[in-house]
Amino acid sequence: MQRVPVGLLSMNQQDPSLSGNGKNLAIVVKQNGRSTVQLKDIQNGSILPLRHLSRNQPHSSPSLSWSGRYLAVITQRGNRRLAVIEDRLKGKFYRLRLTGQRDPIRLSIAPDARQLAIQMAYKGKLRVEMFDLTNMIEPDLTLGISGS
Amino acid sequence: MMFLFIKNFIISILFLSLAPVLSSCSRGSMRPINNLNNVLLETSLSKRDPSLSIRWLATIGSFNGKDKVELFDLRTRRKVSLPGLNRTDAQPISVSVNATGDKIALIRQIDGQTELLLYRRNLGFLERIEIVPKGVPMKVTLDARGLTLAVQVSRDGKWDIDVIRLPN
Repeated sequence: MQRVPVGLLSMNQQDPSLSGNGKNLAIVVKQNGRSTVQLKDIQNGSILPLRHLSRNQPHSSPSLSWSGRYLAVITQRGNRRLAVIEDRLKGKFYRLRLTGQRDPIRLSIAPDARQLAIQMAYKGKLRVEMFDLTNMIEPDLTLGISGS
Repeated sequence: MMFLFIKNFIISILFLSLAPVLSSCSRGSMRPINNLNNVLLETSLSKRDPSLSIRWLATIGSFNGKDKVELFDLRTRRKVSLPGLNRTDAQPISVSVNATGDKIALIRQIDGQTELLLYRRNLGFLERIEIVPKGVPMKVTLDARGLTLAVQVSRDGKWDIDVIRLPN
């Protein structure tokens, strides 16, 4: 097995999530004391731009689609957590509101971006629910990967 | 009569011209997959740490106070067996599945140790992955191809991320 340097030396970094193709890595780092999601190119360690995710910290549980086009992450709005998706290709931003008193805790977007799994707290219990995203965003192309 | 005809005509034109706008308004929301969510609710008391990869969903489910790694085939909506993966004396911490569902990366605590493992489902084989330099793994993610994993590791009181290329 080969260890890959990712150009991440001195910062405290947490919550890694690889893109489906293994080329990008989303992590959560402390920036000015606030947990902020950051996207890296694994090949050269460079930081990739995120247009909509410089606010609403703390960020947690980032998750990437196949090419890294979509980044899903949990943000904070007032005293509620809010799941969001940034479409890096089109520069769009989607807020994913859960009905009732359900707070997202962790999430995972499918490589093809057709579905999303959200771990949430509901009535004192942890549960995972699945959501269909096909009405909201176009799929990310998963080259050579079908899931079978 | 003529007035009514004109009124209905105008309403029809308005409706037709607004239809694309109304339909685009109905876009933009995610929809719960209820038949699948019912299955997920029935299979364990609580679930955490989802890892979704096209056809497969891996989670850590709680059964009578014990946590186990679960894998669901989303096409058949059934839980699949994972022989040799779960142990009664182990506590799973983090899990991640690749797109074909044949590789599962796992962090678990056992005998006071925290270890990083790779499970090959088609072989029922569990392989330990050494953390070099030594550290305590906390969170793992596997890419959809099952060829790269990234792991959050505690070293000298700091969190690092290690990226490891896996053999095919």
